[in-house]
Amino acid sequence: MSVIEPPRQGEIVTRTPEELDRLSSTWESPGGLIGWFMPVNQRVIGRRFVLTAFVFFFLAGALAVLMRIQLMRPENDFLSPDLYNQFFTVHGTAMMFLFAIPVMEGIAIYIVPMMVGTRDMAFPRLNAFGYYVYLIGGAVFFGSLLFNIAPAAGWFNYVPLAGIEYSPGLGVGIWTTMITFIEVSALTAAVELIVTILKLRAPGMSLNRMPLFVWSALVTAFMIVFAMPAIIAASSLLVMDRQIGTHIFTPETGGQPLLWQHLFWFFGHPEVYIILMPALGIISTIIPVFTQRPIFGYTALVLSLVATGFIGFGLWVHHMFATGLPQLGMSFFMAASAMIAIPQGIQVFCWIASMWGARMRFDTPLLYVLGFFVIFVVGGISGVMVAVIPFDLQVHDTFFLVAHFHYVLIGGAVFPLIGGMYYWYPKMFGRMMDERLGKISFWLAFIGFNVTFFPMHQLGLQGMPRRIYTYLEELGWGDLNLLATMGSFILAAGFLLSLFNALWSLWRGAPAGEDPWGSPTLEWATPSPPPNYNHAHIPIVSGRYPLWDRRGEESSPVVVGLRDDRREVLVTTVLDAEPHAVAVMPAPTIWPFISAVAASTGFLGILYHPSFFLVGFFGAAATFTMWFWPRRPWRDD
Amino acid sequence: MHSHAGYDARELTRFAHKTHPLWWGILGVVTIEATVVASLIASYFYLRMDAEAWPPPGVDPPGLLFPTINLVLLVTSSGTMYWAGWGINRENKLVLTLGTSASVALASLVLVLRGIELSDLGFLWNSHPYGSIVWTMMGFHFVHVVSAIIGTAVVAFLAGIGYFTRERQLGVVVDTLYWYFVAGIWIPLYLVLCWAPRVL
Repeated sequence: MSVIEPPRQGEIVTRTPEELDRLSSTWESPGGLIGWFMPVNQRVIGRRFVLTAFVFFFLAGALAVLMRIQLMRPENDFLSPDLYNQFFTVHGTAMMFLFAIPVMEGIAIYIVPMMVGTRDMAFPRLNAFGYYVYLIGGAVFFGSLLFNIAPAAGWFNYVPLAGIEYSPGLGVGIWTTMITFIEVSALTAAVELIVTILKLRAPGMSLNRMPLFVWSALVTAFMIVFAMPAIIAASSLLVMDRQIGTHIFTPETGGQPLLWQHLFWFFGHPEVYIILMPALGIISTIIPVFTQRPIFGYTALVLSLVATGFIGFGLWVHHMFATGLPQLGMSFFMAASAMIAIPQGIQVFCWIASMWGARMRFDTPLLYVLGFFVIFVVGGISGVMVAVIPFDLQVHDTFFLVAHFHYVLIGGAVFPLIGGMYYWYPKMFGRMMDERLGKISFWLAFIGFNVTFFPMHQLGLQGMPRRIYTYLEELGWGDLNLLATMGSFILAAGFLLSLFNALWSLWRGAPAGEDPWGSPTLEWATPSPPPNYNHAHIPIVSGRYPLWDRRGEESSPVVVGLRDDRREVLVTTVLDAEPHAVAVMPAPTIWPFISAVAASTGFLGILYHPSFFLVGFFGAAATFTMWFWPRRPWRDD
Repeated sequence: MHSHAGYDARELTRFAHKTHPLWWGILGVVTIEATVVASLIASYFYLRMDAEAWPPPGVDPPGLLFPTINLVLLVTSSGTMYWAGWGINRENKLVLTLGTSASVALASLVLVLRGIELSDLGFLWNSHPYGSIVWTMMGFHFVHVVSAIIGTAVVAFLAGIGYFTRERQLGVVVDTLYWYFVAGIWIPLYLVLCWAPRVL
């Protein structure tokens, strides 16, 4: 133990350099080639999630640009029909599953533990496992394109098209297996986020003092827990239909193809809120910082997040208005779809009130948030339109829908996300991103986005269906399609410029210091990039804006008495964050990686022979046992 | 900015069980699995809704005898798990080892009976949609019983070599929580598979 004489209440405490070294080596991640597969620290795993997700983002974005080139003029033959189908399937699936969810979770994994003032996620090894499962699943999924065997039945993989009869070959099998993998990864991260947020908050950070980003991560995680199992069940049933001849979704033998749509959209609709929710948290984080005053309507914002979380589960049938379901049921879902506008509207008004009359600093993060307002409101308006059944039947399966969901997904999630990357980049890498490049990148992306997607509303109203690889000249869709393709180049240039900015700033960015933006939340109370242990002492919180609250004070209270020779974190109560235990976190290990490899071998093998299920199951069970096996000496204090 | 001592964590327990993050994590796993079960049950009734006859003509639903015995066995095995936990709370390592081993034995018997039952069903997963969903639900539960057995066998082994103490019993507590779930989830599955075709 480092402290011989325990400090009394109120006594000034400092860490000597030797103590900090010991704390740092306790929380250190191993180096070297083997070591790469071992770290469990939340910031290492979170950063990997974010970087991997952005690799998939740019790959899937490249597919989008290739599709736009194909649609640039009538009767183009740049892509073959089959390749085009593979591209839009992989583009949609990758953007939703390989990019949007993992990147949001990655940011939450990186930021949330520091924001709530702890040193790691609640289950560090599970965190690592989730990452490897995601990496393997994503790589196999994308790799299938190289062998021309990628799935081609659309990102929602409707049966009977996705059944074995109409989609023979490996493609759909890869889709179902890899989606299940990525869902498992998302579920592990969700459980961890819930437990980290509920049990590892710094003392004094009661629920009503939690930063809004943490609230949004919490609601997102709960939505994942209740939404993703439906798609896991659906994918498993489809795998069995395809591999061992069950009859769940096959209409010719009494199965129900609509059941797939119900299960898929029971997950798929909450999914879009799962993607949107963290972005809302990012917006509520950025606005107070760049106006330098507390957010307006904290309670209303929290309740809106929670309400969105609940209502989000009552909307799935609005994806199925054209399937001939009973009128009464559809009316209910129409009303629920319109109702979601209420919490969303409350949030927008709270944000406007927060910015009203404030002296704002128009730096890149805020610009991206303001871009969100414009784009998301347009997407929201077209959303209210397609929520109305008669209108929906008119534009169903047209480019109007493509325009609508890109407005809400890119405008609602990607713009705030990029803003958030500009905002947290200094914390992650210790350097600022370039402001001028950032602003140029914003304007390119904003203009490019609107030029790409706004004409699609009109194309849809003119009757251009989605998912077609080409069209006839006489239909008169050529000009607007050419305009959209030009826009996509500008949009891509905007995002690539931000990528270049991020890489260039790694070496050339101005050093950031602890808190370059004057932020109120705890992650900015650590050096940038943070040391292995995040905070030298676990802080004690007495308000919603801890760093602003302690401005002008000489000293801030911290927790003492945690050992620095093993990974100890404080466990606090759910509601009031009163300390009531200390948990000892596990050290780095390679077992999560081996577990992920064992599970992947088994579940990919199912595509060749069903008996591989046993390999996956018992392989995972054996490696999990090794992972949890207590190492001597057994703890005795 | 200085720091001053505001709270001393030295005296806090390092051996929390029911307040430990892992306990909450297992609760999360249970929630996820229960949602999968709910999806399967919803699928069962969705398939039934549009079927002309359910089960199909000439097909009998699963018999009542073995599933009911299994229900009793699973409830009993939860009792032996509780007894095991009661033992280790009194530092009685023998009761812990016996209780967990008894649960493993009872659940293994469940697997044997389930195997007989499946082979006597008279239809396979690829016979018709009814067969598909019934085999899926039974198989789902079978796999969960197997995983609960593996986990509890490990706990029983560690108990046998004296790893667990009254304080160091987090593994027992979370394994028991998962066991209760695997045993308890059989109740809705049992009602849906064995009673719904007869009563509803």
